[in-house]
Amino acid sequence: MFNLIVKRALWAIPVLWIVATLTFLLARIVPGGPFDAEKNLPPEVVSNIKAKYYLDKPVTEQYWRYMKRLVQGDLGVSYKYVNRTVNDILQDAFPVSLQLGSLALLIAIGLGVPLGTIAAVRRGTAVDQTAMLLSTLGISVPGFVAGAALILIFGLWLRVAPVALWESARHMLLPALTLALSPAAFLARLTRASVLEVLEKDWVRTARSKGLSPCQVLVKHVLRNALVPIATVLGPLTAILITGSFVVEFVYAIPGMGRFFITAVINRDYDLILGTTLIFAALLILANTAVDIVYTYLDPQIQLKD
Amino acid sequence: MSSNLEQLSIERKHVQSSAQPGLFLYAWLRLARVPTAYAALWIIALMIALALISWSSIPITPYTYDETSHAILNAPSWSHPMGTDELGRDLLTRIIYGSRMSMSIGFVTALVAFVIGTVYGSIAGFYGGKIDSLLMRGIDIAYSLPDLLVMILIGILVGRGTLGILVALGLVSWMGTARLVRAQLLQLKNEEFIEAARAQGQGTLELVRKHLLPNAIGPIIVALTFTIPSAILSESTLSFIGLGLSSPECSWGTLASDGWRSLRTHWHLIACPSFFIFLTVLSFNFLGDGLRDALDPRTRITR
Repeated sequence: MFNLIVKRALWAIPVLWIVATLTFLLARIVPGGPFDAEKNLPPEVVSNIKAKYYLDKPVTEQYWRYMKRLVQGDLGVSYKYVNRTVNDILQDAFPVSLQLGSLALLIAIGLGVPLGTIAAVRRGTAVDQTAMLLSTLGISVPGFVAGAALILIFGLWLRVAPVALWESARHMLLPALTLALSPAAFLARLTRASVLEVLEKDWVRTARSKGLSPCQVLVKHVLRNALVPIATVLGPLTAILITGSFVVEFVYAIPGMGRFFITAVINRDYDLILGTTLIFAALLILANTAVDIVYTYLDPQIQLKD
Repeated sequence: MSSNLEQLSIERKHVQSSAQPGLFLYAWLRLARVPTAYAALWIIALMIALALISWSSIPITPYTYDETSHAILNAPSWSHPMGTDELGRDLLTRIIYGSRMSMSIGFVTALVAFVIGTVYGSIAGFYGGKIDSLLMRGIDIAYSLPDLLVMILIGILVGRGTLGILVALGLVSWMGTARLVRAQLLQLKNEEFIEAARAQGQGTLELVRKHLLPNAIGPIIVALTFTIPSAILSESTLSFIGLGLSSPECSWGTLASDGWRSLRTHWHLIACPSFFIFLTVLSFNFLGDGLRDALDPRTRITR
């Protein structure tokens, strides 16, 4: 396992480098620059600002400057949030998204996996149909519409939860639910399919005929194997959830990473775009490595290579 | 030996030519028996009809302002079944016009995903080896760039408007199809009938087009059916960020996100277009589920 971690860490370097380079190019190929929105600035001022951030230099030189700083762990400066470094912004914004995303992940797993399992075990019954109807409903709603519905019902009509801001645990309730809705539904559908497939296996019949109780068969034999495909999607899902969702953070006015990311892209705040993208890519690699380690616990047959 | 192979190949061709319509007929019969999938088909047909109607003339256009009365931000009523927006435009009419954009976006994205995904996946799956691992690492990297980053930047690069949105959605939607096609081809290419066709001297392109892809078409169709609803949802998210169609053009996504602004006071403005998005996306998801079961050879045997 140690070897795996070392190899993945080494592999992560070229991947992050490619992601950084692609994002760098993509952001600069697209027309427009960080100071376009500032109206009526005299050209001298604009050229001074650009010179300050080395944006008047050729792209290759900007690239080398960025890469040199990146190697030292410096993600650069923001052009829009004046006097703030990208590291500084991310240090404030990432914990917020991390908390919200982890809570949403827990809700999604806690709702989705049991729902899917029950549906599979009770296949073809009303329980199954209701569970599948609910989970298909869950993946069919745009995030901001789900947010709007929750705000209207729980925030404005029933008044049980605050509708915005990031102050107390109660404030996390509605945003976490909004964020968890579609992953929960997706996990329920996936779990059902996966459990159904495992239930058909010969060794499940063997386990039953051995006299194990249905509950033991389900937990020890079925679920353990059915969790393998679920673990596969949990990797990317974790990375997506904890790096923040623009929609949820915008709807509930939460100062998380998702909002900074989208505003950075729209403003061409180059370093901030690169910083958030790199964090996402790094977390994705980390989560996928964790998933690979979890595999070996779920299914000892899986050998860890590269 | 060669005649043997030829025989096998002819048999296979024979089976293929009769099995293909057979498969689809069978799938259709199975699909029609699943109530949710059957209802979904009708709803989708209705939405397509709605989109087609929008090209013919309807009495009021989505750009018409009702100046006769104080028709701004009306609640639903007989003259405006879904109310009016902040400029006094009839919401139902705008939703009918919006269906044209939303449905086209869904289908065109699926088409783009199909073309790019099939070509990319075929090359990876057919050649295997180094080309395959290189192309698959490419997909890994494409996945590690956030979708919204690519969509926004491509959208801006191509130009804001319909084309930009279509290209942007297409470019983030093909990876799943590519992986699927590759996996199918890797599995199929060692089958005997492929060997037979190869021995007959068929070229690579012919082999992929005539023998490999037709045998993989079931899962591809299912995957594309799920691409349509996710494209419709992504478009609504883009609209919400403010990078959707520019007004006065409209799609269900732009209508719903415009409605967000008056959520507290006039929630019908977000509820009505959202209901159409929801119903359509739900239908495509149910249709995809139904198709997956109907086209799955394993469930075919067990009935």
